[in-house]
Amino acid sequence: MTSEGTRVRETSRLLRWPEDAAIGLYRSGVLIVVCWIAPVCWLAIGIFLFQLAGSLVLGLWWILWAVWLFVIVTTRALSELVRLLVRRWLRIDIHPAYRATVPLTKLATGYWWNGYDYKRSKLQSRWNRWFRSRVRDPAAWRDLIWVVAAPASVGLVGAVPVAGIALGVYFLGFDPVAGTQVWGVLSIVAGLAAAPYAWRILGPLATRLLGPSSLTRLNNRVRQLVTARADATLAQAAEMRRIERDLHDGAQARLVALGMSIGAAEKVMDSDPVAAKQILREARQASSTALAELRDLVRGINPPVLTERGLVDAVRALALDVPLVVDVNSTLAGRLESPIEAALYFGVAELLANAAKHSGAARVTIDIGYQSAAATIAVGDDGRGGARATSGSGLGGLARRIENFDGTLSIDSPSGGPTRITMVVPCVLS
Amino acid sequence: MRIVVAEDLYLLRDGLVRLIEAFGHEIVASVGTGPETLAALLEYRPDVAIVDVRMPPTFSDEGLQAALAARRQIPGLPVLILSQHVEQLYARELLADGTGGIGYLLKDSVFNAEQFMDAVERVARGGTAMDPAMVAKLLVGNSTNGPLGRLTERENAVLALMAEGLSNAAIAKSLFLSEGAISKHTTSIFAKLDIGADDDSNRRVLAVLTYLGAE
Repeated sequence: MTSEGTRVRETSRLLRWPEDAAIGLYRSGVLIVVCWIAPVCWLAIGIFLFQLAGSLVLGLWWILWAVWLFVIVTTRALSELVRLLVRRWLRIDIHPAYRATVPLTKLATGYWWNGYDYKRSKLQSRWNRWFRSRVRDPAAWRDLIWVVAAPASVGLVGAVPVAGIALGVYFLGFDPVAGTQVWGVLSIVAGLAAAPYAWRILGPLATRLLGPSSLTRLNNRVRQLVTARADATLAQAAEMRRIERDLHDGAQARLVALGMSIGAAEKVMDSDPVAAKQILREARQASSTALAELRDLVRGINPPVLTERGLVDAVRALALDVPLVVDVNSTLAGRLESPIEAALYFGVAELLANAAKHSGAARVTIDIGYQSAAATIAVGDDGRGGARATSGSGLGGLARRIENFDGTLSIDSPSGGPTRITMVVPCVLS
Repeated sequence: MRIVVAEDLYLLRDGLVRLIEAFGHEIVASVGTGPETLAALLEYRPDVAIVDVRMPPTFSDEGLQAALAARRQIPGLPVLILSQHVEQLYARELLADGTGGIGYLLKDSVFNAEQFMDAVERVARGGTAMDPAMVAKLLVGNSTNGPLGRLTERENAVLALMAEGLSNAAIAKSLFLSEGAISKHTTSIFAKLDIGADDDSNRRVLAVLTYLGAE
């Protein structure tokens, strides 16, 4: 069984090898061009200007200026090209941390503001913005590190397959001496052997040099956390106010009324027992209403079934309470941390309410699972779709609450349906 | 009747005990934790047990689990669950074995002593007692669509009382109608909802709950 399995794998690897090698050769060629084009151009500009200038000092001065201009114009384009290659070949998204471009705005003085400077005309302002974004943005200078470092690293290793074959062909074709023929064959073999692997050096180097620096990442994270904390504080304060108001206007007021009723009953007990009985009956009714209100309040703060049974059964209980056919499938074994359970529970409650109110769906499917250290809940319905998470909408608020737990809310809801909304929150299982 | 009371709040437990004794029944055990409940149920095999859902030591659904465990060993052991909250999920789990003798009431139902003891006795006899709040929730959840809309107002009232677990006689009494009229209504309801008619009120409750839950 095992040996057969291995053999099958071996054959498929053998079959795949020519394809891999061909792809590798192609990518190796692309890498040579992408990595070497900048230095080659610099060199060409240098030689050309040096000959034009005639004098050493003047030539060097011109070269410096020309190369600098060339760098500003081409660096970002080259970097974006490499990011595109990484995305297509390795399916890795590299998000550069370029500064956002500020839209041009005309001020009351008649000048144009572009985020960096005031300029008299719009065209001037646009040019200035373009230039400054290339010169003043730290991310742009990180791109230049890549352009300089790439030829010596990716440009060398990635070039091995093409260079090996080229060298081999040269040895075999142009210098047919017996000794060198062996070297030619060896060189081609080495080139072909390296072909499927050589280009892969692009991945680690490009993600390191073309992605945001660790400082930028840290800054972004801090900014995100500050927002999340502010959100959480606000939400908590609002929640406290709501609970206070509900208690004040609801149960508290009813208990006061209850006390008064009982007092009144006490007063008339001897003189008019029938009336006293009536008042007491009403008091009992009032205490039931107060209890019902407290129950609703508690359910809104932390649903009892969530405490008692955990997320999956709480979602099942929720499903029983909506006027839709709801299928709950779960592969989640164990309990999550209670704040996350509550967040996900209320998330599901909101999504179910949306499905019942807006989607016109008849059937809802809820899938609960735990994959790669994150709890996942997907709520799908067969309604009319078109759900959007705009700011101020319920879904937008839900997305922000999920983000406060470092989670994500993804919405797949083409108009016409079906809708599938997925919440993923990283957490530990206990 | 010999009754076991399981409730962790002392005041409530004491009140229950006094209420039950006032009606001339015997309390064979009153306990306050999940494990104690299971032990008492298995030891005394009471005519009916009144059990709180949430109890120590973990304050989750201890009482419910103890009741379910006891009923697995003593099928049909009458259990009346008293809870602060209406939870369909729990009621379904209790009813699932189909042996009857199940009640699920909110705690404030003890305010009306006669009705409460009525429910206790019904459960003890192997009947069913569902809280009106639960039944209302089920009916509201279903009123928007489907065959429930085809029921007349009177039939809806009968269906609600049926889901609470009342017998035809009791339904007749509370709606001020004759028993014959009620049985006509029930036949009509079962026909409209397309579920098999059943005179046994337990199976009837289960059928109605299943129907309401499934739609």
